[in-house]
Amino acid sequence: MKKSAGAKGIAVILAAAMAATMLTGCRFGFASDPDDPNEEVKEVPIDTSIDTFVYDSSLQGTKITLLNSKAEIQVALEKMSQAFEEKSGVHVEVMPVTDGDSPYTKVVSMYNSGTPPTMAILDTTDVIALAEEKAADLTGEDWNAEAEEYLTEVNGKIYSFPLCIEGRGIIYNKAVIEEALGREFDPESIRSLDEFEELLETLKEAGIEKPVSLAKEDWSLGAHHLQYIYETYDGTSEGAQGIIDEIKNGKLKLDTYGRLGEFLDMFDVLKAYNVAKGDPLGADYDEMAIDLADGKTAFWFNGNWAWPNLAEAGAEEEDDYGFLPYFLNNDTDDFANQKIQASPSKQVMVDGQMSSEKEQAAAKEFLNWIVFSEIGQQMLVKTCNVIPPFINNPYEPADPLSRDIYEKVQSGGTFNASAIVPNDHWAVLLSAMQKYLAERSDREELTESIIEYWAEQK
Amino acid sequence: MRNKNKGKDFCMFALPGMFCFFAVVIIPFVYGVYLTLTDWNGVAKVKNFIGLENFKGVMKDGQFWTSLGLTFKYVILVVLLVNVIAFLLAYLLTRGIKGQNFFRAGFFTPNLIGGIVLGYIWQFVFSRVFVNVGEATGWKLFGVSWLSDPTKAFVALVAVSVWQLSGYMILIYVAGFMGLSEDVMEAASIDGASGWVKMKSIIMPLMMSSVTICLFLTLSRAFMVYDVNLSLTAGAPYGTTEMAAMHVYEKAFTSRQFGVGQAEAFILFIIVACISGIQVYLTKKKEVEA
Repeated sequence: MKKSAGAKGIAVILAAAMAATMLTGCRFGFASDPDDPNEEVKEVPIDTSIDTFVYDSSLQGTKITLLNSKAEIQVALEKMSQAFEEKSGVHVEVMPVTDGDSPYTKVVSMYNSGTPPTMAILDTTDVIALAEEKAADLTGEDWNAEAEEYLTEVNGKIYSFPLCIEGRGIIYNKAVIEEALGREFDPESIRSLDEFEELLETLKEAGIEKPVSLAKEDWSLGAHHLQYIYETYDGTSEGAQGIIDEIKNGKLKLDTYGRLGEFLDMFDVLKAYNVAKGDPLGADYDEMAIDLADGKTAFWFNGNWAWPNLAEAGAEEEDDYGFLPYFLNNDTDDFANQKIQASPSKQVMVDGQMSSEKEQAAAKEFLNWIVFSEIGQQMLVKTCNVIPPFINNPYEPADPLSRDIYEKVQSGGTFNASAIVPNDHWAVLLSAMQKYLAERSDREELTESIIEYWAEQK
Repeated sequence: MRNKNKGKDFCMFALPGMFCFFAVVIIPFVYGVYLTLTDWNGVAKVKNFIGLENFKGVMKDGQFWTSLGLTFKYVILVVLLVNVIAFLLAYLLTRGIKGQNFFRAGFFTPNLIGGIVLGYIWQFVFSRVFVNVGEATGWKLFGVSWLSDPTKAFVALVAVSVWQLSGYMILIYVAGFMGLSEDVMEAASIDGASGWVKMKSIIMPLMMSSVTICLFLTLSRAFMVYDVNLSLTAGAPYGTTEMAAMHVYEKAFTSRQFGVGQAEAFILFIIVACISGIQVYLTKKKEVEA
């Protein structure tokens, strides 16, 4: 009798432990913040009646794999692979990068165990690190012409397929701002740091005490904030690379580099109006989405990947959200005050080392299918809900954040610069940024840390 | 004839185990040591032999030594607290108090929850529940998240680890207490030993075998802590709670300095092996037979 009570007790405890495991969604941030991959997404109907894509029948029955590091589109990619298999007969197995693994670590370990994925979705830095050693040359593929602006070249060759454009800036909730101001709000009217600060002050007087949310996460502070100093050099990836090289070889002294001071001016403003000012390092990411949707704050520094979080917090697709630039100074002609940063952040690399010719051909067909088939075009935008970098794709993203970036891309309101920094840049400099955010260090110390970091990279 | 049989027995019983052990422990370990002497970056096809260059890199990596120092602090606190708490609770739970089985299960539960999940649960407690309590009561201690202050974040890390590990150790100590011979206890009582004297001169020496196991387990587990570290603080605030194991991982995979990371892992192994070896030797010497 006693024994069975004990067994019952253990059963209850085990059940409780399992429930706890299931309730606690793990969240690891790499590059873009992945949302729960198992989340039910609203089904968008895909019109499969028209398909003019020409499939290579000799590839039928080929099995290839796709390593996915963008957790929020795992389900969507599975649907895409299913649709592709129905048409082409090629089976694409979509494998997620499990929580806690970095995409790079995962792909490297797969290579070392002799079973690399045929295709891997990776960050641009990872692609560059692996390209010449492992990747298949994709130069001259048909889709090259449709995404000219967004191709990443390594020594003149193209090794990766830009899957989507992601942009970042200061997300605003228009309704909240208009309600507080009591008048129409035109985001275009803010074109300098002073004007932005003035707006924050007005909002404060109108009752939104601290209108800004700032994440303390590594990818946000260490990469998305800090990398503005390189990316705004002239708004191009080449310019960013140039300035990084100059910092690296000591030609440019960071303490005299204008963009760093300007970046800190903006950061100081955001810091001063931070809703979590009392405890900036205790700020909770999920709460930020709720605060913005509820109108406790009006701004959140983040990117279009934050939409699932906002939607979960109650934001609707009809709501008016959009991006303000990361203002750096008071020069209204400065592109940094007019445009927001948007670039292809996730790239698909095709393995050229272990995969057979046939597998590589199937992978290439899959990529072309995404770009050229009516079904692939639709699914990239509607099912995966990403911003396509391909000019021939006629579909528009549905959520307000992606839509805003999409429109800005079309109208030239974005700059495409992504700084290629060493992989530990964000992790190492995160400490310095967090210290500065928590007001435990000053500008000199932060600058010193960045200089020190680059000095070690020689 | 006898020898032949022995060889057959060895093949039947020990070989499969030996094979697995070599395949997953010894060979990777030796290979790992070899990697510390090369400049392999995890991807390249060629591995160049560079001697002790990586160990020089370790010497230059100030952050590694800082995190190692922090790990020592952490280990001392965790080992002491876990063993003292587990020993006392096990003692209480073997004296026949009401509902002791329930309590045993209760104390053991944290150990059933994986370190990652545990870290997230406590992260929620420290940065949400505590802060709400602080807001409601006005207590300064809970005013801001514990995880945003270097000292408090470290305390949080120690507290969670102690909470998790104690349950396991309680189990071992309980087994030890249950194994104490009634005869010896009775004899001690008849001889007039009671309370502290009985504990010091009779129970403690007889419990030394449990102490050896528990100390060894807590030492090695605390030195190698990674999961709780990752999910609770991830080194935050500003890298002040990064333990050695986490730093090794970051060095190898985030900074992509495989050789240096591997060399650091090797150094960490030597340290842990030496310390636990000494500990086992010392406590073994104190073990007695009833």
